[in-house]
Amino acid sequence: MARLSHLLNLLTGPEDIGRSRWFWTGFVAVCVLLFVYPLWLSEFEATNIAYYLLNVPIALGLGLLWGYCGVLSFGQVAYFGIAGYLYGIVAGNMIGDAVGPIVGSLCGLAVCAVVAAIFGYFVFYGRVQSWIVPILTLVLTLLLETFLGQTAGYQWRVGSVQLGGYNGMTGIPAFQLGDYVVAGYGFYYYVLIVVVVTYLSLRLLVNSRHGKVMLAIREDAIRAELLGYDIRARQLVVFVVAAILAGVSGLLYVQWGNYITPSQVGLLQASLPVIWVAVGGRESLLAVLLSTWALNWLNYTLSSEGYRYALIITGVLLVAVMVFFPSGIVVALARELPKRGLRALLGEREGEAK
Amino acid sequence: MDIFATIISILYQFATNGAYLLLSALGLIVILGMMNIINLAHGELMMMGAYTASIAWHQGVPFWLCTILAFVVVGVFGALLERTIVRRFYGRELGALVVTWGISLILSQGALMVLGPFLPSIPIPGGSVGVGQYSFSVYWLMVIALSCVLIAGLWALYNYTTFGLQARAAMQNAAMARALGVNTGRIYMLTFSLGAGLAGFSGALFAPTVSIAPFMGQQFVAPAFITVVVGGATNVITGAVGSSLLLSLIKTPIGFVFGAFVGTVALLLAALVIIRLMPDGISAVIQRRIDRRNRFA
Amino acid sequence: MNEAILRTEGLAKRFDGVVATSDVSISVLRGELRCIIGPNGAGKSTLFSLLCGIYRPDAGSVFLKGEDVTRLPAFRRVRRGLGLTFQTNRVFHRLSVRQNLSAVLQIDRADRPADAEGRYRFALERFGLDPDSEMPAKELPHHRLQWLEIAMVLAAGPDIVLLDEPTAGMSTDETLQTGAVLKHLNASGLTIVVVEHDVAFVRDVAQRVTVLHQGRVFAEGTVDEITEHADVRRIYLGKV
Repeated sequence: MARLSHLLNLLTGPEDIGRSRWFWTGFVAVCVLLFVYPLWLSEFEATNIAYYLLNVPIALGLGLLWGYCGVLSFGQVAYFGIAGYLYGIVAGNMIGDAVGPIVGSLCGLAVCAVVAAIFGYFVFYGRVQSWIVPILTLVLTLLLETFLGQTAGYQWRVGSVQLGGYNGMTGIPAFQLGDYVVAGYGFYYYVLIVVVVTYLSLRLLVNSRHGKVMLAIREDAIRAELLGYDIRARQLVVFVVAAILAGVSGLLYVQWGNYITPSQVGLLQASLPVIWVAVGGRESLLAVLLSTWALNWLNYTLSSEGYRYALIITGVLLVAVMVFFPSGIVVALARELPKRGLRALLGEREGEAK
Repeated sequence: MDIFATIISILYQFATNGAYLLLSALGLIVILGMMNIINLAHGELMMMGAYTASIAWHQGVPFWLCTILAFVVVGVFGALLERTIVRRFYGRELGALVVTWGISLILSQGALMVLGPFLPSIPIPGGSVGVGQYSFSVYWLMVIALSCVLIAGLWALYNYTTFGLQARAAMQNAAMARALGVNTGRIYMLTFSLGAGLAGFSGALFAPTVSIAPFMGQQFVAPAFITVVVGGATNVITGAVGSSLLLSLIKTPIGFVFGAFVGTVALLLAALVIIRLMPDGISAVIQRRIDRRNRFA
Repeated sequence: MNEAILRTEGLAKRFDGVVATSDVSISVLRGELRCIIGPNGAGKSTLFSLLCGIYRPDAGSVFLKGEDVTRLPAFRRVRRGLGLTFQTNRVFHRLSVRQNLSAVLQIDRADRPADAEGRYRFALERFGLDPDSEMPAKELPHHRLQWLEIAMVLAAGPDIVLLDEPTAGMSTDETLQTGAVLKHLNASGLTIVVVEHDVAFVRDVAQRVTVLHQGRVFAEGTVDEITEHADVRRIYLGKV
């Protein structure tokens, strides 16, 4: 019983927005709403919502890495792509085998972890300056995109699965649990569960002892080290966790659309997680979750109008947010609103807006 | 005779790769060395330089003048960027990275929207020269020579002009420089402008060798960033030169045998290993050597 | 026989031709309160950094609780029971007091002092720090920041703490209060080594004093012995 209450303490800890009873009631209410919502939705609409949500894990991973640990990675999409392509290869070669998708998913995530661990070893154990990580992760992503782009020929296949060059890999099987194929409404619930579990787990993490050490590393890595922490190892672990989360999004993506192209690992795509996290506010998991959902919805709505505008708008949004709302829009609101609400409650109306 | 030609060919490839890396990275290093900021819009500034050159050339402006024009136009644009946006991020390196990335998105997408999917290309000036069974592009020979001149010019700028002196002071200790009357705000703006101008100049130089399109800057991002990471921020000249030479030494043989792409991959792997051994880059290692030699006993 | 908890043998460090320390051998016994003093340029900061593990010596060794830690980086020494505070205050300024204190490692060491928790609580109380306060650390007045740093170090339950000019920038009262807390902590068994400038503080607090001059150990003894020492007075006045 003590373990449970300790767990609950961690969950409602102070390292993210929203601690009060109101918040958690609201949170549970929204979750319940989301669970019953499909009753009013067509299957198409439900899978669309799932599409906005499937990018939440990669964003949360970056939020954890950048916002809580102070390490900026521009190359999270590399792991998105690695997991997606690997799942396509493994599950694609195991079609007909019910455990294919599960094996494929595990392979995808495992490779993400290994690549991140190797990359992270060189970077964190080298104690490099902070700007090196974003640069090198970006380079890794770009090289991966170039590599995948030139895999068009027939010789570029693994087993029976073509890599497909710039046209990408198609025919990727959906996720399967036993004999149940996860698609349609089932896919919606699958994504929802993954997102909620990811968020709550990360919330547990940031409120735990490890989370507090992460904050210390973010604030003053050397000082954290002089308190006795092996900051290199800790940064490496968080980097790997973020990579795995990016991989989760990659898996969800290919399990949703059954295809993946090298553009998913491109420069423009790479900027998206950074934008989602920056706009929401990197120092709050909840802010990141909300902004990712909102911006993905926005992007989808805009891209039906004109894709080119969507990208310029995101560029402008990024610049505007960095200049005017450096801590993020959602975070800024969360800090301001309670104050304003309190003032109104106390009946103070000075007349001018601050 | 055949051996001689082969040696010349190898040297030529080495020099071309080195010049390519140097020119790709120079603008970035200048800014990094001063403000410790990586300008992620660097590729787009190169694109702007190429665009300027293309537009000017097709108006009949001689090519060498086009490159100067590119330097000036992009340099002025850089000053504008610095004044309006970048200067808010000094001291916040990661924030600067993100905001310049946003700028790069706006620039590349904007170019696509305003000027279309590509601009008319510029034919490579000069012909080729043959030695033995190999032929070498006169243009690239000029570019190689030009890189040397450029580096020499930068070195002279930093060591023999007032601006250079003030810039070096600001790089070492900004607060102290200000206390001595140096207008560091102006130095930063001029430095960013110089870095942008160099990017534009490089873009114009590369313009005849690539297709001129809104996203052309992307192909330079990987080599430029790797060169900068290996070079480090301690000293612009030694970082740029040392890094280009070292990386070219790696890329040339590998690129020759396995192709350009594998060559670039090798560069990334090399960079990872190098930063493990020299976390602050080549420039820092060279600086320590120089410092040690400058002391007595 | 009380063994030395911190010992150095012939520590030497040069920075590109400038000799910062040479042949420094000191020995701090368990339970001691030692002050390291010396005029400017004597090598106090370098010695401090060598003891911490921030710098590697060019020659010589550092022994912590009998173990040779010369090759170990700072964080490994901290894990073995060393606590460090710095001259330029290094708490996490943007984080709250609560976050600062909860960020501290509580290592499960077999030889963790039994009254570590008691010492920590004592310091919190005497320094007037509320471990649940959400106030950002940077809003604390300077002396409280120094105290916060000391409390953070105590939270880890060290066997020995090294303090680099802990009373820098403090008023006389605050200095006295700091001294009183340190003396009490020392009385409970905590070994304390302080690098200091403030002579009054040293007289108030120290049991033994090590004087550094031009990178070497110039003199060592009790407070009285040192203050009577004619040569020590002279090096401070620049005549040697």
